[in-house]
Amino acid sequence: MKNTIKYITIILFAAALSSCEKAIDLKLKDTTPQYVVEGVLTDEAGGCKVLLSQTKNFTDNNDFNGIAGATITIADDNNNVYPLTATSTGVYQNTTLKGSVGHTYSLNVSVNGKTFTSSCIMHPAVPLDSIYLVKDQLNNNKDGTPRKYVTVQYHDPASTKNYYRFVQYVNNRKEESILLDDDEFTNGQEVNTRLNFNNDNDNPARDIRPGNQVTIEMMSIDQAVYKYFYSLTNSANGDGNNAAPANPLTNIKGGSLGYFSVHTVVRKTLTAP
Amino acid sequence: MKTNRPAWLSMLICEITRTPLRTALGILMLLLITVQSHAQTQGPLDKTVTVTINNEPLKQALDKITAASGIKFTYNETVAKSTVKISINAKNQPLGDVLRKALAPHPFSFTVLDNEVLIKYDAGKVKKQVAADGKYTVSGTIKSKQSGETIIGASIKVTDANAGTSSNEYGFYSLTLPAGDHELSISAMGQKTIMMPISLSGNLKLDIALEDNSQLLQEVTIKAAPAGARDLASPQMGVEHLSIQETKNIPVLLGERDVIKTIQLLPGIKSAGEGSGGFFVRGGATDQNLILLDEAPVYNASHLLGFFSTFNSDAIKNMNIYKGDMPAQYGGRLSSVLDVKMNDGNNQKFGVSGGIGLIAARINAEGPIQKGKSSFLISARRTYADAFLALSKDSVAKKSQLYFYDLNVKANYVLGDKDRLFVSGYFGKDVLKAADIAGINWGNTTATLRWNHIFNSQLFSNTSLIYSNYDYKLNIKQDVNEFNIYSQIRDFNFKEDMQWYAGDKNTISFGVNSIYHTIKPGEISATGNSGIISQSLQNRYALENAAYVTNTWKATDRFTLTYGLRLSAFTILGSGDYYDIDADGNIIGSKHYTPGQEVKTYVNLEPRVAAAFQLNDVSSLKASYARNAQNLHLISNSNSGSPTDKWVASTNIIKPEIADQFSVGYYKDFSEHNYEFTVESYYKRLQNQIDYRNGANVFTNQPIETQLLYGKGRAYGAEFLLKKKTGRLSGWISYTLSKSERMIDGINNNQWYNARQDRTHDIAIVAMYKASDKWTFSANFVYYTGDAVTFPSGKYQVDGVTYYYYTNRNADRMPAYHRLDLGATKQLKKTAKFQSDLTFSLYNAYGNPNAYRIFFRDNKTDASRTEAVRTTLFTFVPSVTYNFKF
Repeated sequence: MKNTIKYITIILFAAALSSCEKAIDLKLKDTTPQYVVEGVLTDEAGGCKVLLSQTKNFTDNNDFNGIAGATITIADDNNNVYPLTATSTGVYQNTTLKGSVGHTYSLNVSVNGKTFTSSCIMHPAVPLDSIYLVKDQLNNNKDGTPRKYVTVQYHDPASTKNYYRFVQYVNNRKEESILLDDDEFTNGQEVNTRLNFNNDNDNPARDIRPGNQVTIEMMSIDQAVYKYFYSLTNSANGDGNNAAPANPLTNIKGGSLGYFSVHTVVRKTLTAP
Repeated sequence: MKTNRPAWLSMLICEITRTPLRTALGILMLLLITVQSHAQTQGPLDKTVTVTINNEPLKQALDKITAASGIKFTYNETVAKSTVKISINAKNQPLGDVLRKALAPHPFSFTVLDNEVLIKYDAGKVKKQVAADGKYTVSGTIKSKQSGETIIGASIKVTDANAGTSSNEYGFYSLTLPAGDHELSISAMGQKTIMMPISLSGNLKLDIALEDNSQLLQEVTIKAAPAGARDLASPQMGVEHLSIQETKNIPVLLGERDVIKTIQLLPGIKSAGEGSGGFFVRGGATDQNLILLDEAPVYNASHLLGFFSTFNSDAIKNMNIYKGDMPAQYGGRLSSVLDVKMNDGNNQKFGVSGGIGLIAARINAEGPIQKGKSSFLISARRTYADAFLALSKDSVAKKSQLYFYDLNVKANYVLGDKDRLFVSGYFGKDVLKAADIAGINWGNTTATLRWNHIFNSQLFSNTSLIYSNYDYKLNIKQDVNEFNIYSQIRDFNFKEDMQWYAGDKNTISFGVNSIYHTIKPGEISATGNSGIISQSLQNRYALENAAYVTNTWKATDRFTLTYGLRLSAFTILGSGDYYDIDADGNIIGSKHYTPGQEVKTYVNLEPRVAAAFQLNDVSSLKASYARNAQNLHLISNSNSGSPTDKWVASTNIIKPEIADQFSVGYYKDFSEHNYEFTVESYYKRLQNQIDYRNGANVFTNQPIETQLLYGKGRAYGAEFLLKKKTGRLSGWISYTLSKSERMIDGINNNQWYNARQDRTHDIAIVAMYKASDKWTFSANFVYYTGDAVTFPSGKYQVDGVTYYYYTNRNADRMPAYHRLDLGATKQLKKTAKFQSDLTFSLYNAYGNPNAYRIFFRDNKTDASRTEAVRTTLFTFVPSVTYNFKF
């Protein structure tokens, strides 16, 4: 809901303020590298993965700046500790560890004398009842073909506060946009939410076209993780014209950027007609 | 019966009698005439007359003498209009003796001119007058002769003493002077100055009609006040007056004259940027400006996302902006009061004026309801940019709407000598709609009913009943779903203001104000299958009361002091739930209040002190201190301001914002008042400033307090203004050097940081050149330091996507902004019945690509790199507007 409003108002005002864009040379400050922890544990095998990296200067390339040599563990609430091992630079995994609903997991990252910790509970999965495509009435794709978005349908449980994150794959290409929903306005309801994304770099591979295979992953995430992603999108493009951008609200202690999310995953696939 | 000689004759005579030689010649001539008349068997002065006149106006008395004696009088308008009353009781006395006796105490003398008697004003006699006992008050209303419009801020000066006043916002003035004869000089922007002799032997009611001076108007367009009258003596600081004519020649975007755009060219008042209707005053936020239209607060003063203001200049008479040193009758905002007054409507004759521009058309009709007593005004404006959308091939664009309209109406009625009623209203609406898919409309409505009452020559009262409303509706249709969001702020407002001209040294203003606010933060209705439950947030109710008293004390000829106190009380009323919230923004308790139950009352004492010391006739020093409290806060998640920003009243948690401003200033007129130089410096301390938490959720049904943080602020600066007020070339240069900072608990590691609107340098140059009777050219140039913003200091990957790392809040700068606008006005046709002109303008004449926003993204062609992208709104915007009046 709130994302819909935000999306629509941005589109409206952008149309009204149609303007000219130009890439410019801007002298930006450099800063000492900061650690970024991206910890994920799901209810599926192979879903345990922690990425450890550092920030780079704006003028550097976009390659993942992985940090090797860290000691990373995840512990459950029965004091079982599971180590993660490096599979490539900055990527740490435990291929067998799966989370269980209702349990709280703790992350511990030690690197170069620093320790980052976090904990997160796994909420029960909310079933994804169906997904379907709806044509956008306002915009077309860059090439003039109709733009289509996925609508997800699920039944929100009334007794709990629920937070959702969706990830969209088009022909196995992961959509960059962060797609969130919560039940603040829809508690206990049959919900149909359209997953709007803004193809801001006009990449045709992001559009949904006839014959494309579209997969939606639905994650039931913790409130702290929802807040992280919500605030991450707010500052995503550094547009100072909106409220002053700031670093997202992390659930990691010890002074790193990033998040630790323990969540369930359900998914559905369709082929675009 | 009478012969009215043209005014130049008496002027010629005055001129002749000025220098000794000329005086001698004049006397000689007069002697000759006298001799000649004596030579006749009977001159007019020798003729005996029998007449009784009991305290009648001069002109009436002269008419009676003519009727009784057959002798005709010659005199000019000064004599005809004189309020001097004479008494005569003559039986068969020579006319010369009768006149000599009757005019002895008055500034008039007489001579024979052929067979008639010339009565003329004799300034020399005024000085010789020995002040009679006691003091009396002259009071009345100053109006335009042509339109009957009351004139605000007209200067009334006594030529033979250091005394004077100016008309108030209803044209009323009151001046207490020693008994005896005086000469008043009455002047106002765009009006011919007139001299008016008066004789005070009791309180005197004197309404004055000034003649338009259209020629002068063209040449002296920016003259803020009559020469030398920038109230050097008044302690009021930080104020700028603009009459609507002054905005006429200043080039603006798309040719729409705009008072809000014009004030941004003055020092200390800064544009909130292109695409924004807001403005910043002395480092304050846009919501810290109180914008009044005929005393009604206007909550969103911009149209079309800020490209136009809600003030249709056709309907506006005059405006004042106070930059934080508000007089005690104003309150409720920290940074400024922009007080805009609508025209009353011409009560002499019916007229229509209007204009057609590239994107908007305006029409204004006004006229008498009862000639000389009452009038009406209707002024309407609508943009038609959306007409072009209909031509578009794109089906969505074709069905889109983008327009605004506004309507000003006003009527006034004179109930008698002492009472006048005004009714005025404003209705405006913006509509922005993308086919049937999404739309938003927003608008203000205000209505004011006012009653002016003159209790006596020294006590003036205005009573106002005011209604203000601002609301917006957002409509979204998506697939089978439809959402509507509605939000509103509505005020009922009662105001009583009294002005007591207590003698020649003190002017006391006092009054009360009571506003009942209702805020509907949001109502959501949804249909379809989205699962969204229709709901509305609780309404908020508050009663804002204030009482004030202030005195302007003219201690000596050189020193004037204004001191006053405003007591404000803001009472939050039920019904509703109010919460306790912990440091992290979580609700830890709540309490329900029943309808009308008091939740909390905030009482603030707001002292206002200002002093002026006049160094000499052309320069003065001033200092002032003012405290202001603000209980309505605009919570905005965007810096450019959006129609959907939330107005929030103080609650048990949100405390009143408070500002203390100290300022000093120096003012000087030079080159015979052709130039004016002012410098003002201020320091402002702000308490209880509000900001969103990092990562705040703007669309939530949680109490807004869960998303907010609080802190303090400080702002200081110096403002310089050099104005050339007369001549073919007129204009000004303004420069502001300033700093504005905030310190909010929980932001920027609790350290001071630049407010977004912190601008180190701000320069505006405005020039107007009257090349001929037909052509006027103008130009303005602005330059200012870019806004303080937060740019990335690095980047990193989350889930394979680039995000940015930020360090200090607002430690970076947008590129400096600069722009040149050019304008030209061609007078097409000018007759008494019809006049028209063409106005051309070119906005951003050298096409500087000013940054509207800067954002960051992966390079479109090389995704392994990031880039900064600047968006620019306007480069080279030409326009032409045709204006007419008949």
